[in-house]
Amino acid sequence: MVVGLILALVAGSLVGLQNIFNSKVNEHTGSWASTTLVLGMGFLASLTMGLIVEGGNLFNIQNMQLWYWFSGLIGVGVVTCILNGIKSLGPTYAISIVLTSQLSFALLWDSLGWFGLEQVPFTFQQLLGVLVIAGGIIVYKFGGRTVETGEQL
Amino acid sequence: MRGVLFAFLGGAFITLQGVANARISQDIGTWQTATITQLTGFIMALLIFLFVRDGNLQMFKKVKPYYLVGGAFAAIIIFSNISAIHRIGVTLTISAVLIAQLGLTFIIDIKGWFGMVKQQMKLPQFIGIGMMVVGVIILGL
Repeated sequence: MVVGLILALVAGSLVGLQNIFNSKVNEHTGSWASTTLVLGMGFLASLTMGLIVEGGNLFNIQNMQLWYWFSGLIGVGVVTCILNGIKSLGPTYAISIVLTSQLSFALLWDSLGWFGLEQVPFTFQQLLGVLVIAGGIIVYKFGGRTVETGEQL
Repeated sequence: MRGVLFAFLGGAFITLQGVANARISQDIGTWQTATITQLTGFIMALLIFLFVRDGNLQMFKKVKPYYLVGGAFAAIIIFSNISAIHRIGVTLTISAVLIAQLGLTFIIDIKGWFGMVKQQMKLPQFIGIGMMVVGVIILGL
C-alpha cells in the first residue's frame, strides 16, 4: 500500500506544479492555445518515456479496442467544464465542487467496480473518510484568506 | 446553476479519466496508454484551437520558456496515477493525489514561488489540510 500511496503523492505534487505552470501560460494565451500546448508536451514526454522504457514494444498494441482511441477526449471535456465552471462561479467555489465531485465519483467507482477494475466494497468507513476530506477541502477553500487565489485545477 | 453543473461534471471527468486510463493500461500497457490518450487529446484540442484561434506565437514568446514545458509532467502523472489505482484503488489514489496537490500549492502560495502572489495562510487552511490527512488515514485504515 505504501508504494501506491507514494505514487499517488508524486502524481498529486506534479499536478499541483503543472497547474501553476499551465496557468502561467494561460496568462498570455487563450485557454485552447494553452491546452493544445500542454497536451502536445504531454504526448511528446509520454512518447519519449515510453520509448526509453519499452523500446519498440511501445508500438505493440494488439489488444486495442476502438474506444481506447477516444479516451483522450475526456481530457478536453475536463478543460471545457472547469473553464466554464470557474468563469461563472469563480475559482474557490468551482474548484471546491470539482474536488468534491472527483472524490465522490471515485468512491462510486470503487464500489461498483465498473470497467473491470477490482471492486472495493463500499463501507461506512470509506464514506466517512471521503466526507472528512470533502469537509477539509471546503474549510481550506472558504476559510477567509487575504487574497483570492487565481489558482486553476 | 450552470456553473455548478460544469464544475460537477469537470470533477466526474477527472475521475473517469483516471479510471479509463487504468482500464486501458491493463490491455495495452501504461506508457502506451499515456502516449495514446495525450495524442488524441492533443489532436482534439488542436482542432478546437484551429477553430477558435485564441493564441499565436507572439503570445507564447511572452511566457517564460520553462513554463511552456509544464505539460510534460503528464507522462509521470499518468504513469503514477495508473500504477497507484491498480495498487490501492480509485478512492485512496484520488484522495492522496488531492492532498499532495493542495499541500504543494499551499507551500508554493506561502513561499510565493514561481512569481505567485504570497498568500497568508490562516488557521482554516491548516485545519483544512489536517482534515484531509485525517480523511485519508480513515480511508487507508
